[in-house]
Amino acid sequence: METDILIIGAGPAGLAAAFEMASKGLDVTIVDESITMGGQLNQQTQVIPSLPSSFQSMRGFELAAHLTKQLEEYDIRYLLGHRVIGFYKDGSVGITDEQDVFAVKAKKIIVATGAAENAVAFPKWTLPGVMTIGAAQTMINRDFVQPGKEAVIVGSSDFALDAALQLSEVGVHVKGFIEKNAGILSRDLEKIEQVKKMGIPIYLDSFIKEARGMGAVEEIEIEIGTRVLTEKVDLVCVDGGRSPILDIFYQLGCSFGYQKELGGWVPQYNHQFQTDRQDIFLAGNAAGISTQGVLLVTGMLAGINVCEAVGAITKTIADEEKDFLWKELEILETKYNPNIWEARNRHMENFAHPVIKEQFLS
Amino acid sequence: MDKSTIICRCEEISYEEIEEVLTNGATTFDDIKRLTRCGMGPCQSKICHSLVASMIHEKTNTPYFQIPLPRMRMPLSPIKLETLATNSTSFSSVKSVMDEVELEDGKVR
Amino acid sequence: MHIQHHPILGGQLHKPVTIYFNDQPYKAYEQQTVAAALMANDIKRLGLSRNLVQPRGLFCTRGRCCSCYMTVNGEDHVRTCMVKVEEGMKIYLNDEDPDVRREFCGD
Repeated sequence: METDILIIGAGPAGLAAAFEMASKGLDVTIVDESITMGGQLNQQTQVIPSLPSSFQSMRGFELAAHLTKQLEEYDIRYLLGHRVIGFYKDGSVGITDEQDVFAVKAKKIIVATGAAENAVAFPKWTLPGVMTIGAAQTMINRDFVQPGKEAVIVGSSDFALDAALQLSEVGVHVKGFIEKNAGILSRDLEKIEQVKKMGIPIYLDSFIKEARGMGAVEEIEIEIGTRVLTEKVDLVCVDGGRSPILDIFYQLGCSFGYQKELGGWVPQYNHQFQTDRQDIFLAGNAAGISTQGVLLVTGMLAGINVCEAVGAITKTIADEEKDFLWKELEILETKYNPNIWEARNRHMENFAHPVIKEQFLS
Repeated sequence: MDKSTIICRCEEISYEEIEEVLTNGATTFDDIKRLTRCGMGPCQSKICHSLVASMIHEKTNTPYFQIPLPRMRMPLSPIKLETLATNSTSFSSVKSVMDEVELEDGKVR
Repeated sequence: MHIQHHPILGGQLHKPVTIYFNDQPYKAYEQQTVAAALMANDIKRLGLSRNLVQPRGLFCTRGRCCSCYMTVNGEDHVRTCMVKVEEGMKIYLNDEDPDVRREFCGD
């Protein structure tokens, strides 16, 4: 199969990029492991704070539907329920539909693989009933299943607070947050207030000493400073933060740089959202963990840069659109996370000096 | 952390086992992997690599930007051999994907 | 427990299907994944680890961790967080390494 542009990942960034390119007449193919478009937006029932100016305020799943709908009038090839499993020597992408493996040759590729949740380990964290906060959110909002009756949340990020509030809404009794740091990680004062009003305790300087249970988690011991608290729970949701998903970049031979604020190792990219493999662009959380509004703008920017690279739009038009979007990106990212904005700029400045280059040699 | 804590869920490698190889001179994820099987199970280090990076950081005082990524190999996620062998009409996919694996002067892809 | 009335998304569980876990029937709904449908029926242990023989269940729901491996319709090591339920689906625990089945052994 041949295509002008292959987008890997149908989340917010991938879909935003697809719109920019399809609306300029490019032949676009989107591949995603899920059969539903929108990626992780699908189980986000919270209202998304700070979307780009062209968007109305809406909830995550509404945003997924909106992004899907705006592609309807274009002739885009969707490879949903398909996975990228590797690459051929000529640069073709090896994709499986679970029956066959076939090669897709693309002039340009936008990798928008998103983020993965990091684990948090403690004795017996392998017990059933211990899952990531994203998993718990998926259970309640995508599969309509209550994953437990009594829960604790390990972590206190925005994401953890959202998950806790949504678990409470469907009748899960959230018995507390367990935060290893000395302060709450979330900066969303409104949500912190909401959690406190509900009477959910936030234990700081604390961690799970041990989980216990026969066949599934039944009880945990929480160490809080010098005291130990035992809680009966059947659900433990862990939030170890998120990191970009890199395996595709790695196989493509892209370089990487380390930026803690962006989620750790991030593919090296320039102001065009182009990696050091000239035909490979990137967008979304894969380019550094950020908020949904920012993910959309990075997708649009990657899309416009690809349009320019293949000559679908002139440099003048591209520059105009990009100037506007970079301003939006700065506003959206500095509003909540000035550290991420700074790290992103540092990262792009390092383009010529990646930390990991020849990663196949070790 | 309790030393019996599992770090690699797939191969069930404990904190203590990783600590031991770090004491014996391992410095990267791939060192630890070769010595303990950590990260060699079905998830291919997708879950444990960040936990192992924290351990390397703590035990050897290596800054995170000096701890390289684990090697990520094809296939990128589990796939049935039957699918890899495929009914494809254009070519044998097993041959085309697996032939990419080559060895030359210690350079492994 | 199935969430019949979601506070934001409303009632969306319309098409029930019957799945069989260890040959016993359980109620699931069409849009659910296998692992989620089992969890709704309070089945959380989906298998045993290979070395220490400890229980394993759903962890990441993204097809990455492989903790939810089960045997589905005769196929071993299915990531049950990624596969949707189907009417009459037969599901078994991933409790031990699979026997090598003679009919699949080739020539």
